Formats: sequence, C-alpha cells, structure tokens
Amino acid sequence: MIVLVILLPMLGALAAYLAGRKREDVRDALTRAITWAEFLAAAWTFLQVNALHRELALSLPGVCALGLTFRADGFRSIYALVAAFLWLITTQFSGEYFRHSKNKNRYYFFTLITLGATIGLFYSDDLYTTFVFFEIMSMASYPWVAHDETKAALRAAATYLGIAVLGGMVSLMGLFLLYHRLGTLSFSAIRAASSDASLALPAVLALFGFAAKAGAFPVHVWLPKAHPVAPAPASALLSGILTKTGMFGILAICMNLFVGNRAFGNALLGIALATMLLGAVLALFSTNLKRTLACSSMSQIGYILTGVACAVLLGEHGSLAAAGAVTHMVNHSLLKLTLFLCAGCVYMNLHALELNDVRGFGRGKPLLHFCFLMGALGLAGVPLFNGYVSKTMIHEGLAELGGAYHIPEWIFLFAAGLTTGYMLKLYIALFLQKNPDAAQQKRFDTMNRRYMNRRSALALTASAILVPLLGILPGFTLMPLARISAPFVNRHPVGAIRLFSLTNLRGGAITLIIGTLAYMFVVRKWMFRPSKGYLNRWPHWLDLEDMFYRPVLCQGLSRILCGVCSVLDKLIEGRFVSGFLARTGIAILRVFDELTDHLALILRELLFASREEMHRTQRDSIFIRMACVCADGVYAVSRRLARKHPDERTITDMRYGTFATNAISFGLLLCAMAVLFAIVYVFSRV
Amino acid sequence: MSLLVCALIPLLAGAALPILRIKRRNLRMLYCVLATLVASIALVSVVLRPWSGSIELFKLSDRFVCELRLDGPARLFLLLIALLWPLATLYATEYMKHETREGFFFAFYLLAYSEAILLAASANLFSLYVFYELLTLVTVPLVLHEKDTPSIRATRIYLCYLFGGAALGFVAMVVISGFAYGPFRLGGILPDVVENPTLLLWMAIMAFWGFGVKAAVFPLCRWLPKASVAPTPVTALLHAVAVVNAGVFAVMRVLYYVFGTAFLRGTFVQSTMLAASAFTVVYGAVKAVRENHFKRRLAWSTVSNLSYMLFGLSLLTPEGMAAALLHMVNHGLIKIVLFFCAGAVMIQTGRTQIRQLHGMARPMPYTFAAFTFAGLALMGLPPLPGFFSKYCLITAALKTAGPWQIAGCVALLISAVLTVLYIFPVVIPAYFMKLNAAAMPLPRETCDPGIPIRIALGVICAAILALSLFSGKLIEVLTAMAGA
Repeated sequence: MIVLVILLPMLGALAAYLAGRKREDVRDALTRAITWAEFLAAAWTFLQVNALHRELALSLPGVCALGLTFRADGFRSIYALVAAFLWLITTQFSGEYFRHSKNKNRYYFFTLITLGATIGLFYSDDLYTTFVFFEIMSMASYPWVAHDETKAALRAAATYLGIAVLGGMVSLMGLFLLYHRLGTLSFSAIRAASSDASLALPAVLALFGFAAKAGAFPVHVWLPKAHPVAPAPASALLSGILTKTGMFGILAICMNLFVGNRAFGNALLGIALATMLLGAVLALFSTNLKRTLACSSMSQIGYILTGVACAVLLGEHGSLAAAGAVTHMVNHSLLKLTLFLCAGCVYMNLHALELNDVRGFGRGKPLLHFCFLMGALGLAGVPLFNGYVSKTMIHEGLAELGGAYHIPEWIFLFAAGLTTGYMLKLYIALFLQKNPDAAQQKRFDTMNRRYMNRRSALALTASAILVPLLGILPGFTLMPLARISAPFVNRHPVGAIRLFSLTNLRGGAITLIIGTLAYMFVVRKWMFRPSKGYLNRWPHWLDLEDMFYRPVLCQGLSRILCGVCSVLDKLIEGRFVSGFLARTGIAILRVFDELTDHLALILRELLFASREEMHRTQRDSIFIRMACVCADGVYAVSRRLARKHPDERTITDMRYGTFATNAISFGLLLCAMAVLFAIVYVFSRV
Repeated sequence: MSLLVCALIPLLAGAALPILRIKRRNLRMLYCVLATLVASIALVSVVLRPWSGSIELFKLSDRFVCELRLDGPARLFLLLIALLWPLATLYATEYMKHETREGFFFAFYLLAYSEAILLAASANLFSLYVFYELLTLVTVPLVLHEKDTPSIRATRIYLCYLFGGAALGFVAMVVISGFAYGPFRLGGILPDVVENPTLLLWMAIMAFWGFGVKAAVFPLCRWLPKASVAPTPVTALLHAVAVVNAGVFAVMRVLYYVFGTAFLRGTFVQSTMLAASAFTVVYGAVKAVRENHFKRRLAWSTVSNLSYMLFGLSLLTPEGMAAALLHMVNHGLIKIVLFFCAGAVMIQTGRTQIRQLHGMARPMPYTFAAFTFAGLALMGLPPLPGFFSKYCLITAALKTAGPWQIAGCVALLISAVLTVLYIFPVVIPAYFMKLNAAAMPLPRETCDPGIPIRIALGVICAAILALSLFSGKLIEVLTAMAGA
C-alpha cells in the first residue's frame, strides 16, 4: 500500500508528461485523476491506521544502500492525508490558473514528482529515508519557483536552491555523524538514545537543513522571496506542505533526542520567537499580497517552533505544547491553502499582486470574500476558528513553563496581535476599500460572477469550509488528531482542555486589541496615504539575504577559495616552481643526453673503427676524442645554464653530427636513472 | 588464454584497420563497432567465468615477469570498460563525421581498448607498469588528433606529465622489486620483516604521485583539462574513464596489493596522501566552477572526482577501497554521459562556452535530459549513484576518525556544494533562460544528435538508474572484494 501511494504520483508524472506532449486536456484530466487517487489512497491508509488500528509498516532493505523503511502511524497518516488533500485542491485549481501559462507540462510533471516525494517523506520511519525524499523534494520543487522564468523568479529560485543545497549538505553531515554514533537512523533507535550527550552536535547539524526548509530564522531568506514569484498553487504547496516537511524532520529529532534539554530548548525558543516576531513584522510592512502571506507563513512556523520548544523544555510533561505544535501544523497548512488560492484567484484575473493594484478587487464577490475571511479569521486566531484552538494550546504550553517565561508569552501575544493587524490590512484593502482609479474599479466590478470557473470555486470553498468546521468542533476533529499524533511526538496523549475558559478568551481578546491598534497606527497612519495608497516603509537595504548571505557566501567565500587556487596555480605554472623545475630538469636531462650521446659515439668508434667513412671523418686518437666529448658536455651545460642560444653547434657536432639523440636517449635516460637509484639503494643497504 | 584473445581482438582489429582500407564509411564504422562489441562480449564472458589461472606473456628475469591474472578489482574494471567501450565507439561513429582522419583515429581507439584490458588484468607491478606506459603511448595520437597548435601544446603537456609520472613510478617499481616481487596479493607482498622501511615509505610516496599523475592528483593535474582539446570520444572515454581510472587502479594496486595497508597505515605517507587528495577534491571543484569552457569544466570536475577515489584509497581500510571502487564505477558512468552531451552540443551547434548554452534545452531536449539526469547523479541527489559513493566514502572516513579523515569529509561536502555550483549553471539556464539564437544561429529547429548518440546516452543512463537501485548489492560485493 505504502509503495503504491509513493510510486503512483511518480509514475503518474511520467504518464502526464507524455500525455501532455500530445493533448493538454488529457493531461489535465489525468493529473486530476492521479491526485484524486492519491487522496483516496491516503485517506484509506488513514482509516486503516486509525479506525481499523492496523499497523502499516514496510521496510525495503538494500534499496538505496541503507535500506528504506516506512511506517504509517497516527501522525504520519494524518500528514500524508493533509498533503494529498492540498495537492488535490491545488490541482483542481491549477487548470484555470495556468490557462495562459507556458511550460505547463513541466509544472505538472514536477508537481507530481514532488507529491510522491512528500508522501514518501511523511511515511518515512528513519532519518535516512526522510533525507532521501527530502532531497528529491527540494530539487523537484525548484521548477515551481522558477516557473515564470523572469529575472526575479530566477533569482528567488537560486536563493531557494542555494539554501536547500547548503541545508541539505549540513544535514547530511549531521546524519552521517549520527549514523556513525548510533549505527542506525531509525526513529525508535533515536528515541532510545535520547540521553546521549555526544549526539547533540550531530543532531543540531541534522536539524539545520530541516530548519532551512521550514523557514526558521536566520535561514528563512528564501521564503519571502520564493512565494511571491511562484504560481499561486505552488505557493500554497510551498507554504502549506513543504515548510511542514522541514517541521517533520525537526519534530522527529527534537521530540526524541532533546527531551527536557534546557539549553537546547531555550535556544530553540529564542529562534522560534525571532522567527515569529520577524515574520509578523515583515508581513505587516509588506505591501504585496503574496509576500504578506509568505511572511505570515514564516511567523506561523515560529508558532509551531514555539510549541516544539515548549515541549522540549517541559520534557515528559509537554504533551499539551506538542499537541499544539502538531495541530497548528495541520491548521496552518489548511489556512495557507485557502489564502494562497484566494491570492491566486486575484492574480489570475489581474496579473498583479501589489496592494495598490488589487485594491477593491474583492468588492461584490461574495464567494471570494467568504473564503478569504475564513482564512483571515483562522489565521488571526479568532475563537471558533481553527487557529484559535492550536494557538491556545501552544499558549497554554508556554504558560506552563512559568517563571521568567512570561516575557516569551508576551512576545507570543504581541506577534499574534500583529497577525490580526496584517490580515486586517489585506482584508480591508481587498474587500472594503475602493480602488482610487474609478475605471479600474469598474473593471473589477465587471468581473463579478465570472472571475473563476466552477471547478476552482468548488476547490476554494472546500478548503475554506474546513476552517470553521475544525474550529467549531475541536472535540471531534483537532483534539483526536492531537491524541493520535502523540506517539510520534513521544508524549502522552493530551487530556481534555478548556478551550473557551476565561483566561484563554482573554488572551484572544488581547491579541485582537493589539491587532486593531497595530492596524490603526502602523498601517493606516504610517503606511497608508489616501493619495498614494500603500507605501513600502521597509528600508530597502535591510534584507538579510542581500546584506549577509549573498556577500558572504557568493563573494567572500568564493573569492577566498578562488584566491587560494589562483595563488597555487601561479606557483605551479609560474616562474618560481615551473621555471626552476624546468631549468634544473633541462640541465640534468642535457647532461644525461650528452652523456648518452657520447657513450654511444664512443661505442661506435670502438666497434666500427675499421669502417672507411669513419676514417675519413676522424683522424684523432680516442683520447683526444674523449677529451672533446667531455669538453662538449661541460660547454653545452654551461651554455644551457647561461641561457645562451641553444642551437650553437658543439665541437663534437661539427665532427660527427648528432647521432642517436632522438631514438634511444629516453630509454637510456631511464636506465641511467635506474642505475643511479640502484647505486643509491645499494649504498643505503650497506 | 581466452583473456589474451579478448585483448588481441581490438589490437588486431585496430592494426588491420589502416591495412584493410575499407572505402565505404558505413562499413568502416560497422567494422569498428562490431570489433569492440565482439571484444566486449568475449571479455564479459571471460570475466564472469571463475578462472584463477595466469597467463605469462614474457619474462625478463624472475623479478620481472609480464603476467595476466583476474581478481575482483580487475574484473570490475574490465566490466566497466567492456560496457563503455562499444558505446563510446558507437558515439564516435557519429561524432567523427565532423572530424578528419577517421581511420587513424579508430585504429588507435581500438588499440587503447586492448591496452586497457591488459592493464586491468596485469598480475604484478612490472606488468602494470609496462601496460601503463603503453596506454600512455597509444593515447598520444588521439590527443594530437586535431594537429593544430592547441592540441600540439596539449600533447606536449600530456607527454611531460605522464612520462614524468611514469619515471617516478618506474623508480618506485624497480626499488620495490628489490624487496619483494610476485603477483599482487590483497594485504601486500612485502615480507614480514622489512630491512629499510623508510626507503620503502618514500617509494610509496613516489608511486602515489607517479601513478597518481594519471589520476590527476594535485599538483600534477594540469594535463587533464588541457587534454580536453582531443575529440570528445577520447575525452569522454579515456580522460574520464579508462586512462584516469587506470591511474586510480594502479594506485590501488600499489597501496593495497603491493605494500599492504598495515605497512602504510598511520605513517606520514598516509597523511600526505589524504591531504593531497582532500585538497585536490576542493581544488578541482573550484577550478571547475571558475571554468567557462564546457568540456574543460567537466575535465576539472573529473580532477575533483578522481581525488574522491584517491581519498577513499588513502584511508587504507577495506571500506575505503570499496568506496573508491564504487565511485570509480559511478563516476565513470556519470561522467561519460556528461561528456557525451557536451560533445553532442559542440558538433550540433558549435557552442563550447557555458554562457552560450542558455535555452539550449528546447532545441536539444534529449541531450539536456540526459545531461540533467547525469548531473543530478554527480551532485549526489539521494537515490542516484553519486550519493552512495559519497555516503560510503564519508562513513569509511568516519570509521577511522583521524584529523585528516575528518578534514577529508569536510572537503567532500564542500565539493558537493561546489558540484551543484558547476552543474546547475549549465542546467538551469538551459531550461529556464531564453535562447540566444541571434548571435549564434542554430542549424535546425531541433538539434538533437542522431540515433547512435541517443542510443549510447540512453543505455548509459539506464545503467546509472540500475546502479542506483542495486547499489546496496554492489556495495556488499565490493566490500567483500576489499576483504572487510
């Protein structure tokens, strides 16, 4: 079953690609059918595991060297189902969204490949399998970001790939070290080894890549760049699922290896709060619809990380925080699906995303209005919507820490308030304000009732309706989800909690007040000018990627590496080494050359002394000739070393001409060297 | 005896080619392909049969006997070249249409096959040296093929480096023969008590660099990128697989089968070798990133990857040797595909620089699909073979955790990042950027090469895929071969 679920989209990708080369409609239908089949298969697995209580596990020893292992337990089957659901909805939506786009074949191909890899990742039962599918997913999702092939898209895609590759390599090193220490990477073995302090460094290295994919500070830089340039269905998947694959790895490592580790927990909490706050601030300042949503994703990842950090700090007792993290993952996936599809709906009609260009688009479009409102309310954590449930659980977890941890609690509430603020900004800009350009507003109004086709509308509604459903009935939906995820996060199942107690509702009220204040004072008073619309007040230079990563990695590091290499090249090819080597080499060779030449000459003299032509050319006695030869040798060497003209003829040359220089000198040279070394060797033994 | 026949088939076929003077081109090409194919089939049948005899070719003295035998690594190397040579010849039949003096080229191409077989099967250090030299000599005319100034210059460098290295190897060979002689044995042939170990250690260093010249270890690596002026079938097969792997193979024979790992482990020889190979891994990759010429970039990448193998060998453990052999097979298959693609682009469109390749995936979909696939495999995307060799190398290095081994691991990971940096700037612009047809007009709408090249690419890509699925098995076999 599991193999089928993983391989179906991978093989389907090929089929869809081949079909798409001939008929586009066949390909679209095929892709939809594949995602439906995948969704049903994931749902069937989910039911088997949770309703029929069957253990689905699979191990393929020997495949891919270390062997792959899969297991479908509560959490994993939930997330596979969520992923399949997101793919289903976005694929239904894609048909209309990509109507006029190029390279659709490529998009669908890589979407399905990524689906297979993601499902494989969520079912994996050891970190090696996780990593294998993680890397496939990273590479296969590159064409999403680069889809539009514009300069901005390619740059964002390069950032995405760079972070993914760097993160992957660091993770790989960590996994190798873990494997070296443990001899296996299965989740159960990691759980058993949790008290081993020497595993901390490998685990932190391994976490790096997952954190980069999840979009945690300070390796979040790809996230706000990649989402706005990617097509909306792809953004929904990037934000809804791909960041969660990073979270999956983080959960697998943190929940098992760092139970109750104070130092690590505090560090993680710091990162989580920074991610949460920075994301929220960036989102508040952004004037682009999708960029706001992307930064919001980063902020929400910060919430999930906060839950994880609390669970780590609380150790065995952290089941509530862990449950909050898990349910917020599910909630955020669904919320971002809805919101990005709404943004996609705007983009496919207007081909613009800047708030000033899309202002007033939502007026008179009740369906879009409803769907966006659901997403916004859920994200802001308004009671009776799903975000409220999970945020409350995380908040409770944070409150359980007590002591000096009330500062993080306030940061948490403040960031939640900012969430309300930026969602308010988007909502008011899209649905309440009128576009200052009356003609433009008229154009928007003419689009009413025909801004998306029935299939897209159905898909969007299906995703939006889940938000209040999960929020109103948490006892039947989110709480059971949290309970069946408990074994995966290595905690006890969470008991009953009073979601709508006075303290929790008060927290909700505080965030709403902060949000309204943030909207009133930051957005309306500072960013908004009635004449000019929304202004981007975020300073241009304040960009971690342009300030730090690109200069350090692209220029600094490459310059250092290239500098070292070119210095070495100069050494080898330059005057010092090769000049020296060449000169001494030539001198030595020349000595041997002359020596062998003259040895050969003497031999000839001795052996062929009676020949007539020899008599004609030479009358001297052998001693004189040998003297000549010696003189020649010295002369030639001295000429050579003095770099005089090499072609000057020597005394011997004038008499006998060169003889046997070319043919045998090399062989004799080797012999001579061998003899020399043999002599050295003999002396060394004596 | 049948092993000798396998070596003689391409030798005689190559020698007969200029004599036969086959007029029609198709017939001539058929003759060449068939000759290599027959030789390969014979070779595979010999290699797969359990045969532990030996063939004595000639004998200078008791110490210097030229002898052939088959053992595990020899069989592996022979299988590799038996798979690749016919495919490369097939590729060459189409490629050489664009070059002159085909007959001359194919004669030496066939001769090189026979020398490679003899080298792989040589049973002792002396015969290894002899065939090592012969392989160099036979490939010189192939490098010189174009007979223009760059190729003459490249040949000069080629000769300088390879003969210089061979001289070092020769000295080492002679001195080692003074201590011990006889057929290769895993674990070394040295006697238990060695009178003058320091001299032998120096000889090991000399042999490492002497035979390492063919494996392009720093600082003796400059010849390899220069030699890429040769026609692509030569660069692809000889300078990415046969000749360079012969260097790695010879180093392996010297380290594991002559000296033995126990003799060298922990000495300054090992640390020198580890440092040199780890450095070359990064150096080659950096040079590849900086290189703008398509084929030269691939050649620099070969320099880097050959040092992966040397690094594995320098670990002096069975796992290290297994990892090196695994990477030899993986890299051989991957790199030949990459070079084939580079050559195909060159003959079809005349584009040789990286920045001329923007948008080329559209007119040449088949070629660039193969290139991307092989490129991903080289980068080490997990289920593809490049990943497993990296995995084996790093786990082998971690097992003997010394400072140089750890440095080597870091070097491998840095080079993995750099691999992405020199492969993706070819792949991504090819798919995602606009074709510059104005400056360099394309001859046709689609410029994919003809059937022979496509077959060669397809078969090797399929082999890479198979390798990724059965790598677990292969690793087991290799580890057993290395005696773990």
